[in-house]
Amino acid sequence: MTELIERADTTVESAVVELSMQQAINRALRVLLTEDPDVLVFGEDVGALGGVFRVTDGLQKEFGDQRVFDTPLAESAIMGMAVGLAMNGWRPVPELQFDGFAYPAVDQIVNQVARMNYRTRGAAPMPITLRLPSFGGIQAPEHHGESLEALFAHTPGLKVVAPSDPAEAYSLLLQSVRSDDPVVYMEPKARYWDRRPVRLSEPTDPIGTSRIVRPGRHATLVAWGAMVHRCVQVAELAAEDGVELEVLDLRWLKPIDAAGLAASVARTKRAVVVHEAPLTAGLGAEVAALITENCFRELAAPVQRVTGFDVPYPAGPLEPQYLPTIDRVLLAVQRTLEY
Amino acid sequence: MAEENITFTLPDLGEGLVEATVLEWQVAVGDTIGRNDPLVEVETTKSAVVIPSPKAGRVVELHAREEDVVPVGEPLVTFAVEVEESAPQAGIVGRVPEEEAKPKRRVRLKPPTD
Repeated sequence: MTELIERADTTVESAVVELSMQQAINRALRVLLTEDPDVLVFGEDVGALGGVFRVTDGLQKEFGDQRVFDTPLAESAIMGMAVGLAMNGWRPVPELQFDGFAYPAVDQIVNQVARMNYRTRGAAPMPITLRLPSFGGIQAPEHHGESLEALFAHTPGLKVVAPSDPAEAYSLLLQSVRSDDPVVYMEPKARYWDRRPVRLSEPTDPIGTSRIVRPGRHATLVAWGAMVHRCVQVAELAAEDGVELEVLDLRWLKPIDAAGLAASVARTKRAVVVHEAPLTAGLGAEVAALITENCFRELAAPVQRVTGFDVPYPAGPLEPQYLPTIDRVLLAVQRTLEY
Repeated sequence: MAEENITFTLPDLGEGLVEATVLEWQVAVGDTIGRNDPLVEVETTKSAVVIPSPKAGRVVELHAREEDVVPVGEPLVTFAVEVEESAPQAGIVGRVPEEEAKPKRRVRLKPPTD
């Protein structure tokens, strides 16, 4: 297959271009707005400003203010509007500007978006993709570094996904918006500026599959969002010590790829789950339970969790201590190796 | 490298003073100066003080002449400051995380024996 190296402003499909995650998401939104006249992009500052992280830059100019538009600063209204639009045949892609401000919209998300299909016996599907800039790592103020994946994964009726790099962000957004189910698409803010080659092609992996980012045989590191990059760093350092770590990017947090987890851990016999959210009742507990249920006999050590702490998300200067550090992950790996 | 203009206003010099008189500029338009270099001498009802430059850059405009009275918060001087064009564009909230070429570690691993 011939690979075309194109400039970032190309619209040629299947090209490989170097894009930041911001640009990759922007590109996917352009594809979606072009292919489907029912797709609408809206939220606080997504129109005239182009988004506080430049993710929707230029979209209003290209597609007009009827399809890409600013809303009042009212998260509940944004999601309520998405429900009404979806019931009338549109395919809304709302943005809630920051994770911590999704809470005012939880009533709409949990009580309306997630249930409408069930409540109407399929008469009113909710093909809504909520874009939610998520997680920490950019030293932002309070309410700008939250990890809400466990809350949404616990809500029946929602799909939840967290991309880890620009290529993933591109294809997972295409899949999310084209899905007739509501999807919470969690964008790792700390990776927005990460630039990598992106193949602009159609998604091939089905919804709900994980991917192996780096193969290894001594233990599996399970992560999503920005923690995938952290785990790759850990795996590179562990390799210096002769320890080969497999890095599994879970990416879909609902539905979770139980089979993919089991296949990896059955090979490596050890697992460490890494997430930014607090430990107690975090998604790491779900991952650990699935691994234990599916490969109990293969396990050489209990599944370890390396997470944020059970405290409110801290102020910027304390972030490096709160988020899982390389040494905390390495210590957890050592515990599984020595068990 | 591109340039960006930044305007510096008369700071609150303390003790509830609301204005100051410009005594003597120690820079001229076109001068390139360093951070903390003496910028201007001003006189308040309490004393005469030299205000150091808050920025390194090239002086583009002086907003007051000598002997002018400038209220606190009004423009004093505009600098042209060099900015890196290729710098990643930060969001309006938060900072662009710094990437370490080789991340630091303290923990060493012992490979398993099995």
